[in-house]
Amino acid sequence: MELQASYIQIVALLLFAIGISVTLTRRNVFFVLMGVELALNAVNLSFIGFAKTLPATASVAGQILPLFTIAVAAAEACIGLAIVIMIFKSQESADIDNYSNMKG
Amino acid sequence: MIPLWLIPLFPIIGTIALTTIALSSSGSKQGPAEGVTGAVAVFFPLLSFVSVLVLSLGMPLEGIRQTLGTWISLPAFQVDIGFLFDGLSRIMLLFVTGITTLIAFYSIGYMRGDKSFARYFAYINLFLFSMIILVLSDSLPLTFLGWEGVGLCSYLLIGFWHADAKNSKAGNKAFIVNRVGDVGFLFGMLCLISIGGSALLSYDYLNAWLLNPVSAEMIGTAMPLLSLAGILFFFGCTGKSAQIPLLTWLPDAMAGPTPVSALIHAATMVTSGVYLLARLSNLLVLIPIVLNVILFVGLLTAFWAAIAGLFQNDIKKVLAYSTISQLGFMFMAAGVAAFDVSIFHVFTHSFFKAALFLGAGAVIHSLTGEQDMRRMGGLIKKMPWTSLVMIFGFLAIIGFPGFAGFWSKDLILEKLYVSGPMGPFLYGGALLTAVITAVYMGRLIIMTFFGKYRGSAEKEAHIHEAPATMLIPMLVLSIGSAFAGFLWAGLIPGAEIFREMLAPVVGAAQAHASSAHAAVHLSPWVFAALGTLAALLGMFIAWKLFMRPMPEAKGDGEPEGFRASWTFAFDTLHKWIAVIPTKAMAWFLDVVINNIILAAQWLTMGIIEILGDGVRSLQVRKVGLQMALSLFGMTLVIALVVIYGGLL
Repeated sequence: MELQASYIQIVALLLFAIGISVTLTRRNVFFVLMGVELALNAVNLSFIGFAKTLPATASVAGQILPLFTIAVAAAEACIGLAIVIMIFKSQESADIDNYSNMKG
Repeated sequence: MIPLWLIPLFPIIGTIALTTIALSSSGSKQGPAEGVTGAVAVFFPLLSFVSVLVLSLGMPLEGIRQTLGTWISLPAFQVDIGFLFDGLSRIMLLFVTGITTLIAFYSIGYMRGDKSFARYFAYINLFLFSMIILVLSDSLPLTFLGWEGVGLCSYLLIGFWHADAKNSKAGNKAFIVNRVGDVGFLFGMLCLISIGGSALLSYDYLNAWLLNPVSAEMIGTAMPLLSLAGILFFFGCTGKSAQIPLLTWLPDAMAGPTPVSALIHAATMVTSGVYLLARLSNLLVLIPIVLNVILFVGLLTAFWAAIAGLFQNDIKKVLAYSTISQLGFMFMAAGVAAFDVSIFHVFTHSFFKAALFLGAGAVIHSLTGEQDMRRMGGLIKKMPWTSLVMIFGFLAIIGFPGFAGFWSKDLILEKLYVSGPMGPFLYGGALLTAVITAVYMGRLIIMTFFGKYRGSAEKEAHIHEAPATMLIPMLVLSIGSAFAGFLWAGLIPGAEIFREMLAPVVGAAQAHASSAHAAVHLSPWVFAALGTLAALLGMFIAWKLFMRPMPEAKGDGEPEGFRASWTFAFDTLHKWIAVIPTKAMAWFLDVVINNIILAAQWLTMGIIEILGDGVRSLQVRKVGLQMALSLFGMTLVIALVVIYGGLL
């Protein structure tokens, strides 16, 4: 059976929902970060799913673009994690609701 | 051919150079090197004068026009920076640059030892630049730029010795009164723009439009607005040229250094009102009512200032009131549409009034600052050259036959007589003013140079003849006040060079005006004889009244009693008409309106603060909640876009 484009979208939607719900409900900063990453990759998946519906020549471009996104996301995750580690060191807490030093 | 922009370029270079000198020497104790500074200060006006001279000799009859570029470019408002060098601006520029050069030279001697030597000359050069822009521009906005520039320099130079608060106050007064007049100028330009767009602001276009028979109908419908423009421009001129009602600043302007009084407040800047009237001659002759207003304001001013001049004890104040009075004569001439005659009087007046002021400056300098004529007297023995210059200026201003003022004042009187049915009355009023002129000027000469010295002994020991740098310009000017009149000597056939030079500019307007009334034929010799008689009568009265021992001087030289109420009548008038209502309005705005606005402001602030507090309570430190809210908002936006298709 051919893989239907709509199935990919459903999976992507599920992944996105999981990512967002993790982000919103968890208080541990590492889980929040993971949730964000999950949501991001869900969007990448959705992108590829839509690209698959196009004719082959145009489809290639759509499938390449998520690679760039992944590369950027990797860099962003690096910086994000670095920040989180620094904050964790100084605050001695992984609870994001405790991070309120910069409150105006 | 020399480009026209060279003429204003020289003084602005001079300004920059002198400002640099003034700034760099401001820290040092002994001030800048006076020789170098003085040389720079005279050199640039001289270059300007020479270039005007060269241009004048090669000028074609219709003038030279040069456009430098665009100044303001808006869809509804186009102004170019352009210069116009024609008969009128040639004469104005010749004497403006020439007299500035002479007076800068004189100032080297007069200002010697002053700490702000370089600053003074920087102002003088800036003044020359502004005056050149005023006279040379080919459109009203650029003239206005120069108009403001000379006002600024006048303010700076009146308050030059600003350590004394009195001088600063006089500067403020001059500036503020001038600004009141400037409002007239600005609104006059606005009237012209609303009639025919910004193109009408250019003199050439305006004249072409006014003289073109095709536009006659349009002019007819625009007549009320044109009359308003004429009145407003005239109001602007009364500010600059110290006419009723804006004349009170000029006597106070005497707080500045005396060469400044000679240059700005007698010879050049105050005549720019007359210049503007001549420039707008084609506009003014279309509106007889404005001409009548100009005529009567001129007559009243001349008469009032002449009488006020009788009461002054300060030698410079006498000359200030006499300047106002002479400007009144010029306005009278413009009021009977004899614009060339009024410019001729500007020309001759600039010589003899500058000579008189410089002479007075030499007297004040030699008496170490004494300005009260009651403490002078008998100076003719000590300062023969200065008194010679002053007497030449005196003979010119009272209209002694042959001197410059004789020819120009005679022409004005003649034009007044032949101006129409009111002519003989106007003539009588002007002649009476001429008699009073001779009386107060005679009083000045007698009190200063004749009789016995009445001042303190220590000052008497110090009296000396002016140094050469001061004497040379004075002598040149006194030669001018003796002979400048022969450029247009009405009694000598053919001596009409001056009229012919101005004819291309104001000829059309005057032809239009003179066709309105029939000429009265009377021999010019009759006018000359009556004018001479007036001068002699005035001299005789002055000799009878003042050639006797004076009472001891008391007080500070300000007039007292009825003399004060006459002299300061317009100060009082301004106080009641303008100053007190303005202050009352300011109080009202400050206490009532300001508080209402403040209350509204507090109310708004309170509401915003309460609302802000409410919204801030949402900003709790729950990252999850924040993110949920932002997701909700984003979803809302997407939903809206989906529903309304992005057309909201």
